[in-house]
Amino acid sequence: MWENRCKVAVSGVGFSKVSRTADVPLAVHALTAVKEAVADSGLAMSDIDGLATYPELPATGHAEVDGISVVSVNCMMAMLKLPDLAWHIQVGTVNIGGAVQQAVNALLAGMCNYAVVWRAMHNPRGTYQNLPSGMAAGATQFTAPYGFGGPGQGMAVAYTRWLERHNQNREKMATLAVTQRRHTQHNPHAYFYGTELSREDYLASRMVAYPFCLFDCDIPVQGAVAIVLTTADRACDLKPTPAYLAGYGQRLHFEVAGRIGSLADYMEGGRSSAKLTWERSGFGPKDVDVAQIYDGFSASVIYGLESYGFCGEGEALDFIQDGRIELDGELPLNTFGGSLGTGRIHGLWHIIEGALQASGRAGSRQVKDANVSFVGASAPIVTGTTFIFVREPY
Amino acid sequence: MSDWSKVTRPIPVPNEWTKPFWDAAKRGIVELQRCQSCGHFQHPPYATCTRCVATDLRFEPVRGIGTIYAYTIMYHTGDKRFAAAVPYASIIVELDDAPGALMAGNLLDAEYTEAKVGRRVEIVFEKLNDDVTLPQFRLASAE
Repeated sequence: MWENRCKVAVSGVGFSKVSRTADVPLAVHALTAVKEAVADSGLAMSDIDGLATYPELPATGHAEVDGISVVSVNCMMAMLKLPDLAWHIQVGTVNIGGAVQQAVNALLAGMCNYAVVWRAMHNPRGTYQNLPSGMAAGATQFTAPYGFGGPGQGMAVAYTRWLERHNQNREKMATLAVTQRRHTQHNPHAYFYGTELSREDYLASRMVAYPFCLFDCDIPVQGAVAIVLTTADRACDLKPTPAYLAGYGQRLHFEVAGRIGSLADYMEGGRSSAKLTWERSGFGPKDVDVAQIYDGFSASVIYGLESYGFCGEGEALDFIQDGRIELDGELPLNTFGGSLGTGRIHGLWHIIEGALQASGRAGSRQVKDANVSFVGASAPIVTGTTFIFVREPY
Repeated sequence: MSDWSKVTRPIPVPNEWTKPFWDAAKRGIVELQRCQSCGHFQHPPYATCTRCVATDLRFEPVRGIGTIYAYTIMYHTGDKRFAAAVPYASIIVELDDAPGALMAGNLLDAEYTEAKVGRRVEIVFEKLNDDVTLPQFRLASAE
């Protein structure tokens, strides 16, 4: 087991408004989320001495403008003017989970005492995947000429392989979409709060890239979320019940850019990251009380459930049936609604929910007696990150 | 059947790693990068062998026959260049001679519903302009 288990905790979370269009610059969303997270933890902003983020716009063909389409550490520091900033980083890989893990490392090393991590997501005007060039250079030369545009099609090819190899039926995915939308109705911050989704709606919805229909894809939004991390002893002095980090893992799975469709690559990325997390925490899939698994596209949940070890390969669409992923089920899943419910904010919201469930602060969606709370914070392929939070330090 | 006549495909831009592939396609041949140390074929091209990390890689011809490894049917018309062909099948093919080397393509001359994992396909060549010819796929004639 990891000697540093339960030595760092999440002590505050914050959210901006989530909307389809940018009525204020993205920097304001990020600032709102950070301020709310710091207030939630009961700290003063001047206490914050660590900053970390993953400033990235997943849309294609749009300019990255700091404060408008991304919010860098520099941009955040310009707004906060922290008097005692001691440590900062913005990661270029491993997604937002990597930024959280770096903050954990900095806290354990004594480089800072209270770190804030945020993820701010822009929804550009016009076409999300804006492919303006008539030329296909670099990795796209082997995909773009055939009409492979955004990441959706790349995910879709792996999904057809999974479905047909395992003799499965995409209609079973309705259970995931409908259950997560029901969970969303307990999360007032989510984009789809107040909008219900029936099985019939899912089955009748238009195809985007088969096997993905509209409700298999998270909706692009503008918004930001943030968390405050600190050492366990400091977290105990703060108002919120701490969510202790029992272990984490990450994986950089080798992949040649432009090679798409290989299901094995998804499974390997998730397996390796989860293995480290299970070993470090001492827990296994059977010990988990509640799970958040990244769902930018619905099929990521399948790859997550299987590669993390919650069920066998080819079994995930059956595993999620019969109430198993309900709030009172055997494995309550994406209890905040997931990205399919909140809108596309990437994995930090999954991490936030994992922490809230562990600390018993998830309100009307709280899973009863939850102690071991698992998070898979990005699609398991290539740069997966996984986490376990617990209520009871050990 | 998808109408490709009104589709403007992005033109591949070869670089130092990929030029031999495109040069061969222009001659109506599929050549893939092969490790001279372990014999592994790979695609897309890379700086080293993705299996044994050897650096002696050469392009060698392979037979243009293989199996659909995965596919998607595109319905979304966000990319206006391809909107006229919707719905169309984009496929990933594993050639018989190069296991693990996955090539993208479209399924031409067939209904998109014919795209299924495991279906046999063969290479055809689609000339984009005087400089670039695109390897494509159609259902294999009886073997």
